[in-house]
Amino acid sequence: MSMFAGILIFLGLALAFGLLLGYAAVRFRIEGNPLAEIIDKKLPQTQCGQCGYPGCKPYAEALAKGEAEVNLCIPGGEPTMIEIAEILQVEPKPMQAEATEPKPKMLAVIDEDICIGCVLCIKACPVDAIIGTTKMMHTVIEKECTGCELCVPVCPVDCIDMVMEKPNLKNWKWPEPKAAAERTE
Amino acid sequence: MNIRLHQKLINLIASIYPMAKRWLHQFHGGVFPKYNKSLSLRQPLRTSYVPKQLILPLQQHMGEAALPCVEVGEQVKKFQMIAQPAKGLSAPVHAPASGKIIAIEQRILPHASGLAEPCIVIEPDAKQDAIENALGITHKPKTIAEFKQLLLNAGIVGMGGAGFPTFAKLPDQPKKIKHLIINGAECEPFITCDDLLMQTHAPEIVRAALFVAELFDVEQVICGIETNKPQAIEAMRQACEDTRIRLEEVATVYPMGGQKQLTQELIGVEIPSQLHSIDIGVVMMNVATLRAITQAIELGQPLISRFVTVSGMGLKKPYNIEALLGTPFNELVELAQPEPKLNYPLLMGGPMMGFAVAHNDVPVIKTTNCILANPPETSDEPMACIRCGECAEACPVSLLPQQLYWHARAHEYDKTEQLKLFDCIECGCCSFVCPSHIPLVQYYRHAKAEIREIKQQAKLTEIAKQRFDAREARLERDKHEREAKLAAKKAAVKQQAADAPKVEKTAADAPKLSAREKAIQAAKARQKASQTTANEKDATAKKASRKDNSKPAETAPAQSANDKRQAAMQAAKARAAALKAQKTASTETPANLTEQAQASSVEDTPSNSASAEDKRKAAMDAAKAKAAERKKRQQESSQ
Amino acid sequence: MSRFSSSPFAHNNSSVQKIMLQVQLAAFPALLAHIMLFGYGIIIQWFLAVATALLVEFVMLKLRDRPVMPNITDFSALITVTGLVFCIPPESPWWVIVSGCAFALVFGKHLYGGLGYNPFNPAMLGYAFLLISFPAEMTQWTLPKDLAGYTLSFWDSFNHILFGVMPNMPIDSFTGATPLSTLQTGLQQGLSSQDMLQATYFESSWLNLTAWGWINIAFLIGGLWLLYTRTIRWQFPVGFLGALAFMAWVFHMINPALYAPISFHLLFGGTMLAAFFIITDPVSSSTTPMGRLIFAASIGILVYVIRNWGAFPDGIAFAILLMNIAVPLIDRYTQPRVLGHIR
Repeated sequence: MSMFAGILIFLGLALAFGLLLGYAAVRFRIEGNPLAEIIDKKLPQTQCGQCGYPGCKPYAEALAKGEAEVNLCIPGGEPTMIEIAEILQVEPKPMQAEATEPKPKMLAVIDEDICIGCVLCIKACPVDAIIGTTKMMHTVIEKECTGCELCVPVCPVDCIDMVMEKPNLKNWKWPEPKAAAERTE
Repeated sequence: MNIRLHQKLINLIASIYPMAKRWLHQFHGGVFPKYNKSLSLRQPLRTSYVPKQLILPLQQHMGEAALPCVEVGEQVKKFQMIAQPAKGLSAPVHAPASGKIIAIEQRILPHASGLAEPCIVIEPDAKQDAIENALGITHKPKTIAEFKQLLLNAGIVGMGGAGFPTFAKLPDQPKKIKHLIINGAECEPFITCDDLLMQTHAPEIVRAALFVAELFDVEQVICGIETNKPQAIEAMRQACEDTRIRLEEVATVYPMGGQKQLTQELIGVEIPSQLHSIDIGVVMMNVATLRAITQAIELGQPLISRFVTVSGMGLKKPYNIEALLGTPFNELVELAQPEPKLNYPLLMGGPMMGFAVAHNDVPVIKTTNCILANPPETSDEPMACIRCGECAEACPVSLLPQQLYWHARAHEYDKTEQLKLFDCIECGCCSFVCPSHIPLVQYYRHAKAEIREIKQQAKLTEIAKQRFDAREARLERDKHEREAKLAAKKAAVKQQAADAPKVEKTAADAPKLSAREKAIQAAKARQKASQTTANEKDATAKKASRKDNSKPAETAPAQSANDKRQAAMQAAKARAAALKAQKTASTETPANLTEQAQASSVEDTPSNSASAEDKRKAAMDAAKAKAAERKKRQQESSQ
Repeated sequence: MSRFSSSPFAHNNSSVQKIMLQVQLAAFPALLAHIMLFGYGIIIQWFLAVATALLVEFVMLKLRDRPVMPNITDFSALITVTGLVFCIPPESPWWVIVSGCAFALVFGKHLYGGLGYNPFNPAMLGYAFLLISFPAEMTQWTLPKDLAGYTLSFWDSFNHILFGVMPNMPIDSFTGATPLSTLQTGLQQGLSSQDMLQATYFESSWLNLTAWGWINIAFLIGGLWLLYTRTIRWQFPVGFLGALAFMAWVFHMINPALYAPISFHLLFGGTMLAAFFIITDPVSSSTTPMGRLIFAASIGILVYVIRNWGAFPDGIAFAILLMNIAVPLIDRYTQPRVLGHIR
C-alpha cells in the first residue's frame, strides 16, 4: 500500500512539474535570436572589421551561430572576449598577439595640409565620420569617430594620424586613490 | 519657547557628550570640524588690490566656456565685456579693471584637474577707465525675461561654489518659486567671506532678495544663518526689519550650507533625488550672488569682484578681501605674510570640499570663496576599513559610505549606483571621521567619473552602431539602385533596338548613352574623321575600341604627319629621360604613354584622364614626401 | 600630499589604533574585578595571549608579504586575544590560550586577508575552537575566591598554568562548573531554577551579587565608557541585552520553575562581555543601523535558545558565529533610506 502511495506521489509531482515547465515554456517564450543582440551589445561598435567580419553586428551574428571564434575582437580586448565567452558559455580563448588590453580610445585626425582629397578614407570609414569630397580636403567628425583605424592604411599620402583624446575640463576624471591596506613598504 | 528649551537641554548634554549636537539639526549626520573662523576675522576687510596681471578664464562657471570678443593688444575699460556667453548654459566675462589685453592663451585653471584652458590676460593700467552703467539699465527690470537677460549679461553665477549660471536656475513664470532661501550658512571651516559680506552689505543682500521675491511672486523668503556668526545675524536682522524676510538661526554643523541640507532644515522638505530644487518650488541663493544681483540691477555693474577669504594655518595675517576676479592666488597670499614660505600647494575653497591647485598663480574666479594656505601635515597612511560605521553616522544624506567604498574599489560600478552613489554630495564628512583615513570621497569621485564615462561610451557606441547600420543600408540601397538603373537602361536599349532596327545605331543611342560612352564615341568619330591614329599601345584607346561591339576594332597604322610626330617624339623622349631620373619605374610607363599621347595631339578623353592621373601621381608623391618629412620631424622632436 | 589628493583636508584625528586602545582601556575594570575575584591567573593568561599574538602576527604578516610595523601596531590582535582571555578559565593550562589565540588570529583573521576582511569574529572563532577541542579544560572554571575559600597565589597560578604543577590541594576545591552549566545540569536532574538559584552556590557575598555578577557589572562599566567615546554603536548592547532580557522575561513568566529570571541571564556567563566587547566587533557585524539592531537582537535570542535548550551551557560563541554568517544578508535588506528617496 505504501509503495503505491509513493508511486502516486511521485507521479503527481512529475505531472505537476511537467505542467509547470510546459507553462513556463509557453509563457516566457523568447522570439527571435536574442543571442546575437546580446553579444552585439557587448562589442565595442568600432565597426573596424579586424575580426574579419564587415562590422560588429555580423561578427555577433556569426558568434551566435557558433561560426566564429570568441577572441577576434581586437578593440574590445580580453574583457570583451571573456564577456562573449560567458554569454556563449564556451571556454575563453587567449587573445592573439598584443591585443590583450583594450586600447585606449583614439581619434583619427586628418592633416589637412597634406590631404589630397582622394575620398579613399571616406569610403573606408564604417560610420561615415569623415566628410569631404573629391579634391577637397577631408576632415574627421571627432564626435562620430570610433577610432577603428580603418582609414589609416587606405590613405595614399599617410595623412591620417590616430591621436589620444585631449584631456579637458569635461572629460577629466579624478584618478583612483591608491588602494588602502595594499601598501607595501 | 519649547524649542528653545529643547535646544538648551541638548546644549547641556553636548557639554559632556559633544556628539549630542547632532540632535540639533534636521538632517542626518553631519560633523563638527574645528572652524578656525576667527583667524580671518581679526583683520579688517581689504579692498582695491590691483595685481600686475589679471587672468580671466573663459570658463568660470558650469556649462559652456565664454567666447572672447576682444583682441590681443586691445585697450579695455573696467566693466567692459571681454568674452560673450556661448549658446546655452554660459556666462560672459567682464574686465575687472581698465588695461590692455596682453594675451589670450592657455593658463592653468583653479580646478582640481590642474588643466590649462584659454584665459584672457589683462595688464591693468592706472587710469581706472570705467564704463558707467555697463549693463545699460534705465530702470529696474520689470519682467522676468528682462531680469534673466540682465543676470546673463552681468555674468552672475552661483557664488557659493557650484558656479551655476543664475539666470538658468530661475523659472520663466511668476509663482513658480514658493520659497526663496537666502543661504548665509557658511559651514566650511576657515571661510568667513559670506559672514563679512553680511556684516558689511546686509541691506544690499536684502534688497536683491526682496526684488526677486517681488518679481517672482514668492510666497516665503527665509534667510538661514549659522549660529556661529552672531555679528552677521545682527546685521541681517537689522536689514530684514519690517520686511517679509524671515531670519532663521540654524545650528552650526557641517554641511549646513549644502542646498539639500539647508532646505531640509528651513522648510522641512527633502529635495527628491534626481529633481532640482526648483521642481519643488525652492530656490536658494547665496548672499554673495544676491549682492551681485543688487549691483547689477541698481548700478548696472556686471560681476567683476567678489569677497574672498585668504586664510590658513600658514599665514600670519589672514584676511578677507573684495578681490578682483583674475587676481592670482599667490599675490593675495603674500599680502597675508605666509609663514613658513609658500612652497606648498594652496587650496581653493574650504578644507572639507576644496581642492589643491596645480600652481599657486591661478586666478580668483567667480566661485573662489577662499584661498587656504595650510602647510602640509604628515597625514596618516590609509589603513584597511574596519567597517566601524562612523562614516554612515556622519553622512548627511544617509548613504552607506563604507559599502560604497568596497564596491567603488572593486570597480563594481553598478552596485555603487544601486547604493545611490549619485546622491553623494561629496561633502567629505565620511573621510573626515574615517579612523582608517581612507580617501573615501576620492573613491566616489573616481567612480562617478567612471560611470559617467561608461554611460557616455555606451551612448557613443549606440550612435556608432546606428551610423554603421545606416551606412550599410545606404550602400545596399545604392547597389540596388544602380542595378535597377542598369536593368532599366538595358531594357530601354533593347526596346529601342526592337522599335527602330533600321535607324543607325549610334545616332539612335546617342541621347541615351552615358557621358563616358558619348566621349568614347566622339573619340571614335574624331579618329575616323581626322585619320589620326592612336598609338596601339594606348591601353585606354584599346579599351574603348574593345568596348565598341557594334563595329570591328580598327587597327590604325601610323602614317600621317610623320615629321611632326617624330619631332614631338624626340621632345617627349627628352622629357621622359628627365622624368626617369626623378621617378620610380612604375610611374615611368604611364608618363611615357601620356607623352606619346600628347605628342600625337589626339585630344581625347582617355589621354586627358591619363594626364590628370599623372598630375595626381605627382601631387601624391609630393604629399608623400611632405608626410615623410613631417613624420621625420615629429620623430626628431619627440626624441 | 600627492598632487591629486582629494578633499577633505581635515580630519577628526580618530584612528584605528585609538579605537583599539579605547577598547583595551575599557576592559580594565573587568580585568581588575577578575583579579580580585578569581586570582592572578588571568594576568598570566593575558601575557601568554599577547606574546602569542605578537608572534603570530609577525609570522603571518611576513608570510603574507605585508609590512609588519603598520599592521602590527593597529592593535586589533590585542583586542581579539583580550576577548578570548576573558572567555577561558583563568587556571587552564598554557597551551589552551596559546592554541586558541593562534587559531583565532591565523584562521579567524589572516587567512581571510587580515583586519577588515574577516567574516567571523576571530575571538569567538578561537573560543569555539577551544570549546570543541578541549571541552574538559574549558568547562572547569576556577571557583571564586570566596566560594573556594582558598586563593591561589600568583606563583601558584604561574606554576599551575605553565607547568601543570598542582597546588597543595585537590583540583576540585578550586575549580568547578560555571553557574550556567550548574544550572543546566540541575535542571536536567529535575531541580527547579528557583531552588538552584537559592542554593548556596549562587548566594552572593556582597551587595547581593555573585562574583560573576561583579564581573558583568565591570564589563558594563567599561561598555558604557565605550558608548560614551563612540567606540561602539549603541545598537549592539541595546539589541542584544534587550532581546535576551525579553526572552528571559517571557519564559520566566511562563514557567518560573524551568526558566531562570532576567537578572540571572544578564549577570551570569559572558553576557556583558559579549554585549559590549564581542558582538561590537565592527568588522564581522552588520554595518547598517537597523542591521546592527537585528544582528544584536538575533544573537540575544540565539544565546537564550542555546543556553536553555542547547548542548552547551553558554551559547554566545555559537550565536555570534551563526549571526556572522547572516551579516551580508542583513546588510542588504536594511539599507537606510537615502535623502530624497522614497525607499
